Amino acid sequence: MDKTISSANLKALFNKSGDIVQRPLNVAHSGIIVHLFGVDGLMNTMMLDETILQPLSENENLKNIKSEKELMQFLLEGGAYHAFASEVTDYDLLLRYILSGMAALVFDQEQKALIFDVRTFDKRSISEPTDEGVMKGAKDSFNEVLRTNTVLIRRRIRSEYLVIEQLNAGKLSKTDIALVYLSNVADMDTVNRIRDTINNLDIDNISTPAFIEEYLMDNNKSIFPQIMYTQRPDRISANLSDGRVAVVVDGIPFVYILPCQLPMLMQSPEDYANHYFIGSSLRVIRYIAMILTTFLPAFYIASTTFQNQMLPTEIALSIQQAKQNVPFSSASEVLGLLIAFEILIEAGLRLPKTVGTAMSILGGLVVGQSAVEAKIVSPTVVVIVALAGIAGFILPNQDLSSGIRVTRFIMAILAAIAGFFGMTAGLILLITHLCSLDNYGVAYMSPFVDVETSNHKDTLFRFPIKYFTKRSKKIAPENRVKQK
Amino acid sequence: MKRILCLIGKFLIVVFLFTGCTHDMSRKEIDEINLIRVLAIDYDQNGYTLSALFNAAGGADPEAGEATEEITKGVGKTPYEAYEDLKAKATKSISLGHTGYFLIGDAAAENGIDVCLDFLSRDETIKMDALFYITKDSKAADFMEKGIKNKQKINEDLEAIRQKQEDLVTRNDNSLVNLLNEMKQTYSSVLIPYLVPEESSFLTPGYAVFDKLKLRDYLDEDTSTGINFIKDIIRNYPIYVENQVGLMVSHSKTNLDSKVNDNRIIITIKVDFESMVKEVNTPEYIFTSKRMNDLVNKQNQYLYEVINMAVNYSKATGQDVFQIARMIEKQNMKKWQELKENWAEMISSIEYKYIFNSKISKSFILG
Repeated sequence: MDKTISSANLKALFNKSGDIVQRPLNVAHSGIIVHLFGVDGLMNTMMLDETILQPLSENENLKNIKSEKELMQFLLEGGAYHAFASEVTDYDLLLRYILSGMAALVFDQEQKALIFDVRTFDKRSISEPTDEGVMKGAKDSFNEVLRTNTVLIRRRIRSEYLVIEQLNAGKLSKTDIALVYLSNVADMDTVNRIRDTINNLDIDNISTPAFIEEYLMDNNKSIFPQIMYTQRPDRISANLSDGRVAVVVDGIPFVYILPCQLPMLMQSPEDYANHYFIGSSLRVIRYIAMILTTFLPAFYIASTTFQNQMLPTEIALSIQQAKQNVPFSSASEVLGLLIAFEILIEAGLRLPKTVGTAMSILGGLVVGQSAVEAKIVSPTVVVIVALAGIAGFILPNQDLSSGIRVTRFIMAILAAIAGFFGMTAGLILLITHLCSLDNYGVAYMSPFVDVETSNHKDTLFRFPIKYFTKRSKKIAPENRVKQK
Repeated sequence: MKRILCLIGKFLIVVFLFTGCTHDMSRKEIDEINLIRVLAIDYDQNGYTLSALFNAAGGADPEAGEATEEITKGVGKTPYEAYEDLKAKATKSISLGHTGYFLIGDAAAENGIDVCLDFLSRDETIKMDALFYITKDSKAADFMEKGIKNKQKINEDLEAIRQKQEDLVTRNDNSLVNLLNEMKQTYSSVLIPYLVPEESSFLTPGYAVFDKLKLRDYLDEDTSTGINFIKDIIRNYPIYVENQVGLMVSHSKTNLDSKVNDNRIIITIKVDFESMVKEVNTPEYIFTSKRMNDLVNKQNQYLYEVINMAVNYSKATGQDVFQIARMIEKQNMKKWQELKENWAEMISSIEYKYIFNSKISKSFILG
């Protein structure tokens, strides 16, 4: 394939594409013909007309232009009323620019092109975060446009050390990716590893988040998320200040943060908006909810099927009475209801919002109530499964919540097989698994497993901000002092 | 290699955890089990009778109506045989995992509590804080049956007894775990509260004393109170020093000290206690220095009397009801080696000295 920059080559390439603008332009007074290429809909035509086409057809100074070389020089030096103009000599780069929405003026004799950034496209305005809303705090969130997202970060960190590296991935999609970090804080080994991972991506398209997430995770076989995402620019700026690295992907309305540890996924922006005591209390409730959602159904199965003496007598009697005439075993009841719960969630997600509410009422109240009255399930099981389900939604990170939902099933099955022994075995395996996870050189369970006590000030409890004096040694080894 | 080792390690942990489990891991749905709430153990010439009290219906399900109590009996030459017979006769599987109370009949207690407790201590599901009571001059099963005829809720009444006990003393020494520990102390007597019926409830007037794990005596209320003071387990205790003035011991601390000189044992009982005025039914103003001193002396005298009753019982019968043996063993370990051979005879010759420090505080009066 001929990779010479020429209008003929480009015309041949885009021959069948109806959205590619191909137009010869007769430059006023000079008799030179240049060719304009661009993607219809991605270019701001008004800006194109005013800043490039109008000067090319009206500027009196064009009388002195004798060659394409002089014309290129003229346009680069102010002949075109446009701030972002550059010369391109590489054919592939030119294609990438054109397909990303820039306007190209191709000079056939010079075999070069001039690129003008006149990109525009329909985009969502900056809105409130849908998943991470706070009562007290910033209300802006990322959207699908990479540059908007990097601007939101830059607005919060006006440091000269903030680096926004532009990368590109996807053989076909050529998706823009920005690697964001603070060069004086972040561990450059981590930055280099992430950059290499993105540069070495050999996939066609980054159409959904999983296409990049799975490559960025160190251990993608685990059901526990090892990459944190957020819609909130304030969270990103806080994590960048801690020495972490952000990955902004064009087309994905949130930003990734690496390396990621489990305690990070239990933190909510609200923790830092409230008084530290209230923030800590909320966080403790979240950890309790995590334990409840993981183990409550399993505990119920184990205690009602194997070791009933673990229950207080009055509760045991109450459960006993509630289970009278129910034909299924406790394990079948719990697992059945857990599956029904997941079905309800899935149904609620797929249906339109208005129908979804009716569906929740129908599923949760009508079917649940009827099932209890018909003695298909005992009321205690409904309470247990509902409590476990609701507790799961308290977790701030949806990926963690999903991982915990799967773990809940595994624990319930183990409890159904061997009661508390099964649960204990499951717990040991779970802890072993979590402790074996490593994320860009940082333990997933860090700082719970760290000996360094300074890291423990923002884990189970949120200490007052004045105590956050040092960054983690593993995440920011070179610049550890946050404040004196 | 590392992964293989890790997998083997995890496998070994799981195998270790499941060692000793039965093939079905003792699977039994909770609604397929009859939970024994109270177990009565009786003895006669034919052997042992175990009477289990279950809750028949009621509870969380309003349609099931009010809970009723049912008794199922099992007989056998030993308590374990009787328990197996009980299992066979019960309509569902039975479990001791929720049995909060064990009633031991008079005759079974005389035959030895070790026989009754042995099979219970081998049940892995049993509640270690389950409480034991002796039914005075009665079979335990008759005691329960009379209660049920009398429209009593046996379990609830026993629960009320436990609560009242906890109001007065700081710990229940009649729990299974405590009795099993005390049974190992062969030099001391085991004490278990006894029950007597009272119209439509039960009362625990005092302790039943066991000599070599066989029932010996029933102590009256004052002697039992004296023992509670010496054992330092008093939480609250009412003292009526005069007809018009009622006091409540709100704090009590007892220290026992032993001295052994040439096989002569001197035990110093030091009681520091404080009481509050709970009732004054006299127009006379009692909160004067003179009257208060007078009341303090009277409450000291009262305490001396109840403690002395307990001490006299111990000396008269040669029963170590205060667990002096354990104390001497701790405080004078070398001397104990010489004393323990003739301990039974020495109990009667122990000298006791008393030191009482008490005060009375004024209670608040509203209005």
